[in-house]
Amino acid sequence: MPLNIDWQQILLHWMNLVILTGGLYILLYKPVKQFMAKREAHYQELDRQAQDKLAQAEALKGQYQAKLDEAAEEIRQTRTKAQQDLQKSVQDQLDQAQAEAKSIVAKAREEAEASRERIYKESQRELREMAAKAAKKLAFRRGADPFDQFLDLAEGGGADERR
Amino acid sequence: MRQHKKALALWLTAILLLLAGALLTGSPGRSESVQEAMRDAVLHDVNQVGLLGIKAVSPGMISAFTVTAFLLLLAACMRIFVIPRFQYVPGRLQQLLEEWVGLFDGMAKSNSPHRNGFLGLYLFTAGSYIFVGTLFELLGIQAVTTHGAPITLPAPLSDVNAAIAMGTLSYLVILSGGIAGNGVKGVGKTLKEFSLPISMSFRLFGALLSGLLVTELVYYFVSLSFILPVVVGVLFTLLHALIQSYVLTMLTALYYGEVSEVAHSPKREKKTGKAAAPSV
Repeated sequence: MPLNIDWQQILLHWMNLVILTGGLYILLYKPVKQFMAKREAHYQELDRQAQDKLAQAEALKGQYQAKLDEAAEEIRQTRTKAQQDLQKSVQDQLDQAQAEAKSIVAKAREEAEASRERIYKESQRELREMAAKAAKKLAFRRGADPFDQFLDLAEGGGADERR
Repeated sequence: MRQHKKALALWLTAILLLLAGALLTGSPGRSESVQEAMRDAVLHDVNQVGLLGIKAVSPGMISAFTVTAFLLLLAACMRIFVIPRFQYVPGRLQQLLEEWVGLFDGMAKSNSPHRNGFLGLYLFTAGSYIFVGTLFELLGIQAVTTHGAPITLPAPLSDVNAAIAMGTLSYLVILSGGIAGNGVKGVGKTLKEFSLPISMSFRLFGALLSGLLVTELVYYFVSLSFILPVVVGVLFTLLHALIQSYVLTMLTALYYGEVSEVAHSPKREKKTGKAAAPSV
């Protein structure tokens, strides 16, 4: 054969390469690839777990956010109700005070009316008494001008005093 | 300081004396001329080595078995002592091993995304074999020929039989990918590239042989045996090992991906295309 090509040796080289392929596959290629796949799976699992935890945390955050929103709404409603109650209470007190004031005013008016009535009656009585007194004095003072006497009497006995 | 100078002078004198001695003494005489040595490096028809006393084979055959034994021993050591201690955060050695496997696995996946299980393994084996086999010639392991003369074991792939074996095996792997992916059509696709086994084999053989011949030539003459082998022997061989590993594995991966890709039916595509085309 040209170039000393020997088919037997070529077959021996093939055999050598087949042995090498099998040996390297069993001893090196497969275990290293298996380990690399295992590590990849491990990190993928870690990644998946992290994703799950992140999703859980997001869900929890959502729940707490909803609760916070609920609490805020509740606070808002309570505040509104308290304001309404306060306003009502103020109004009630105002109404009560106004009613009381009205009653006080009415009572004062009644009292004033009664007082006026009483003073009027008293003045009437005093006038009557004065008229009676004057008449009495007129009756007892003789010789004096009746008109002057009357005037003196009307002025409260000033003429008598002057005398 | 003076002591350092003395030591330096002594060292330089020793180098010069040894160089002069080596040049003056000369070679004890070659049993073969440079032409014969280089012819034998190509053909391996004179210096053959006995394979366990059964048959005389070319030294490349012995190199091939030695490289395989070395790789399997290394793999066994890794399997026993290193792989069980693998950590999720890798150390240097683990990183090296993972890169080594991942390089060829990634090459298989990128060039043949649809079918790459066996391809990755083959590329890993072929790449490792070519790389280690090429570096093997740096060790200069000696063997005894059938004539009783010593011979330095060459790189396995500098033997034409080993290169043909590697090229044809790669072609068969590509063919298997074609059959697995496309059945009979895959065989046709692969057979279209009938020149591939020859080109692969002789590319490897030529590349490795040229390295061997240059090294033979350099070492044949004593006067060229200083400093030059560092470049020729080490740097060229290292480059060589990397380039040849890359070229063969890349070609195999490319062709494998091409022939194993499932062909789309043109009729179906035509129908789909018509359906998708807007009516005028």
